[in-house]
Amino acid sequence: MSVEPDRNGSLGRSVRRKEDQRLVTGHGRFVTDLELPRMRHVAFLRSPMAHARITGVDTSQATGVRVFTGADFAEVELRAQSALPSYVETGQPVLAHDKVCFAGEAVAAVVAADRYRAEDGCEMVEIDYDPLPPTVCAWEPPREPVHPQAPDNVLLERTFEAGEVDETFAGAAVVVERDLITNRHSGNPMECRAGVAVFDAADRTLTFWNGTQVPHIVRNMIAELMDLPEGNVRVIAPDVGGGFGVKAVLYPEDVALCLMARAMPGVPLKWTEDRAEHLLAATHARDHRYRMRAAFDDEGMLLAVDADVTCNVGAYSVYPWTAGIEPLMAGGLLSGPYKLEHYRATVRGVATNTAPSGPYRGVARPASVYAMEAMLDSAAARLGLDAVEIRRRNVIMPEDIPYRMPSRLVDDSGHYAQCLDKALDLIDYPAVRAEQERRRGTGEAPIGIGVALYNELTGLGRAASAGPRMPFRTGHDACTVRINPDGRVTVFSGVTSQGQGLETTVAQIVADGIGVGYDDVDVRIGDTDASLWGFGAFSSRQAVIGGGAAHRTAEAVKVKLLDLAAGLLEASADDLRVAGGQIRVVGEPEPRISVAEVARVAYLESNRLPDGIEPGLDATRFYDPIRGAFAAGAQVAAAEVDRVTGELAILSYVCVEDAGRAMHPQIVDGQIAGSIAQGIGGALYEHLVYDADGNLSTGTLLDYLMPTSAEIPELVISHVAQPAANPLGVRGVGEGGTLGPNAVLAGAVHDALGIEIDTLPVSPSRVWEALHAEVVRA
Amino acid sequence: MKCAPFDYVRPAGVDEVVTTLRQAGGDGKILAGGQSLVPVMAMRMARPSVLVDVNRAPGLSSIEADGDAVRVGALARHSLLEAQEDHPLLAEAASWIGHTAIRTRGTTGGSLAHADPSAELPVVAVATGATVSVAGPDGVRETTAADLFTGMMTTSLADDEMITAVRFPRPSRWGFAEFARRHGDFALVTVVVTGFGDELRVTLGGVSAAPVRAHAAEAVLAGGGSARDAAQAASEEIEPTADLHGSVPFRRAMTAEMVRRALARVDVEN
Repeated sequence: MSVEPDRNGSLGRSVRRKEDQRLVTGHGRFVTDLELPRMRHVAFLRSPMAHARITGVDTSQATGVRVFTGADFAEVELRAQSALPSYVETGQPVLAHDKVCFAGEAVAAVVAADRYRAEDGCEMVEIDYDPLPPTVCAWEPPREPVHPQAPDNVLLERTFEAGEVDETFAGAAVVVERDLITNRHSGNPMECRAGVAVFDAADRTLTFWNGTQVPHIVRNMIAELMDLPEGNVRVIAPDVGGGFGVKAVLYPEDVALCLMARAMPGVPLKWTEDRAEHLLAATHARDHRYRMRAAFDDEGMLLAVDADVTCNVGAYSVYPWTAGIEPLMAGGLLSGPYKLEHYRATVRGVATNTAPSGPYRGVARPASVYAMEAMLDSAAARLGLDAVEIRRRNVIMPEDIPYRMPSRLVDDSGHYAQCLDKALDLIDYPAVRAEQERRRGTGEAPIGIGVALYNELTGLGRAASAGPRMPFRTGHDACTVRINPDGRVTVFSGVTSQGQGLETTVAQIVADGIGVGYDDVDVRIGDTDASLWGFGAFSSRQAVIGGGAAHRTAEAVKVKLLDLAAGLLEASADDLRVAGGQIRVVGEPEPRISVAEVARVAYLESNRLPDGIEPGLDATRFYDPIRGAFAAGAQVAAAEVDRVTGELAILSYVCVEDAGRAMHPQIVDGQIAGSIAQGIGGALYEHLVYDADGNLSTGTLLDYLMPTSAEIPELVISHVAQPAANPLGVRGVGEGGTLGPNAVLAGAVHDALGIEIDTLPVSPSRVWEALHAEVVRA
Repeated sequence: MKCAPFDYVRPAGVDEVVTTLRQAGGDGKILAGGQSLVPVMAMRMARPSVLVDVNRAPGLSSIEADGDAVRVGALARHSLLEAQEDHPLLAEAASWIGHTAIRTRGTTGGSLAHADPSAELPVVAVATGATVSVAGPDGVRETTAADLFTGMMTTSLADDEMITAVRFPRPSRWGFAEFARRHGDFALVTVVVTGFGDELRVTLGGVSAAPVRAHAAEAVLAGGGSARDAAQAASEEIEPTADLHGSVPFRRAMTAEMVRRALARVDVEN
């Protein structure tokens, strides 16, 4: 099924990235770099209250600036839709009017000559609030509903059920029970959100430069909300400095910017989010509680799982992902790569007076993998089994494939044990265990080993489309490939890039697909006027889907190229081969004609066109893999714990993933390293904390602790490359790395000290408190 | 996150700084390295009407040996403190401040005037019994570090005064230990042990409104007690507060451990 590696091709090699020339020399083109004539700057006034009725709005003191308030756009709201039976649909205002539902929600926008004056203007807008009781924690009873449509604050609840759970628990040798709470995270890309909107009243067109991962989704909904023909809306995502899912959401601020631009035709409006706004009002994630029960037999075989999962989805159901994105992912993939027959999981998304939650790299699975691996670690401890052994006994193997999970997802991978074996080899598992044993008798700091196995659902086609039954299916992307009259190639792809190097990857695919040099291919992305269609970057889909579209399109153009060349050469197209921009006849040593010469004929010398061949050399194709490609992964780490301070020092960290065929090994490893780093940040440092009044206590990077290079250890990354069942043989790798660290590091502490970490992050004080409790008990 | 409006003045010398501050009538603020001031201005938590940029005032950037001490100009950057060899304790303390970019801009005078109890230099100033030179309308006065810090981010400096230099005595032996969540973070606790003659001083940062001497711990050491006992005494004589990073008992325990580690560096046995 997979493509044979071409020795002359660029795929499989870490070719120089197309985007690095501009990005590493400071010539990136980000939204904020855009300067346009008559441009004005926007600042949003944000609610200081977590929950309150708005009883008065006075803008009379705000002179010299233009102010928009909730009343200006009260008829417009974002509505994230889902066809799931229990889903309670709610709306999200553009600017809050009746009431505010979280601290940081935008209540007004001020337009001024520069951002300083816009912020001065915000101070002159008076909003009167009548406080309502805020609800911050999703598993405490609501004090006052966030939305009247959901009196219990539950926006969605679903029970996954398979087999006979209660009966199985009744007969189990070992039952493990733990309540686990995972910490609230922020995606925190280096570039915060940003937008520039300009409306041309003469032809009713809107151009919106937006640092988004999903320009076509943005165009679609902006056009609908503004009642504009979709073709009159152009969304441009230029260079974007990180996204991680946070920018896969259409935000009220985006809509406000476009609506304000229509109210001020001809005046480009720029908004650059600052870090304080980002921490307050961009989507959060992973504020979950897992009440877990797992049943095992006396050999450590997993028999049943019974789970109750509550996800804090914040104040609003974000567009387009809804409040279902985290709970449904948690329930669908909780059993991970383990064989399981009897399964019950009730998952719910609960609204609170906190910032909305949304997609963030890994979506729920950093939390759900932690919950599942915690069951295995506890069971292993109870049965006196090694952490590796209990996993071996339960993991889905290649011979089980296709494996129907109890949530009815179908696992097509089964390469977990292979990943685990390689990871154990790389960390030298026996040596680490020996060192652990040696230290036990000494005063030296104890060592623990943590293990996690996981599966990443990547490249989901229409049959298992990402998202909770939204009104669209995200299984496909389009690509257009043009061979220009000079023989060079321009690609208009529907993919977007936030640093992942998609220009490079798409160029590699097209260059090899046609048979031209990598340097002769240029890729344009992120402009809805240039690309036909692409859903964008989320759920590790672009290598599989956008890449598949590029591959199919390149093949279609190659057919045209060879048909034309065959006519010119009076040969059979079947006998022609293209490589390095030259076309040869099979069996002949020298090329007959170049791609450039054929292209010249296609556009400029119609007199030479063979009969029946139209001018031009281009094609547009879609690709939909229909199903997805599971990607297996294993992470193993050894960590040393300071018994006095509770600090964790990671001694070695190994990750082995099945990325399928790695198109650009350096980019693949970069994705894995970056996602592990984000996972370690989430496991040990990052924690958004609200106080009881709903104020964010961690509103700056002084309090919200992002890991730096000093906190991330050397990572050992390796691969088992099992080609996936798609034309390029690729699997997604964008998220997998984030899935392991919570489980691995909490597991390492458990292994080192015998204490169960039930609440994340694994901070020194948490470890210390747990150790201290042990001492007190003793 | 943009500053509220302010006037900007860049005086040519210390006298002019003092005059400008006096004219601002309590509403002026000195800009040195700006590493703490500018962020709080950007968040509009500080809104001085006049920003007095002292970076061009001459003669304030040097570090000189001065008998049994080192005299540090108010504008000496943390990176310079880190690089100098005359006062190894100061060099080590400076290496714990923030990151390279912060150390390249942040100044000694600025750190002391800002008086963050979690910052490293105020602890070293108290631990070494530093003398602070302060320029004001009536000329230059001298004060001790202990008298400079009056509370949480507050000092005895008048609105029209400016630190011009700090004289840090050199301890005959010293130990430094810090506990922070990440490399470069403000400390949850900083402990500086300094030996002058037979006396061992234990000074704590991050556990109270201002750096404090752990007198009970010092008494234990003066009586020939162990590091463990001194650490225990230090952890009991402070009144730390709980925050996102830990409870009161945790902070006491970390204080004890850092005291023990700092004492280990001056060979006080457990």
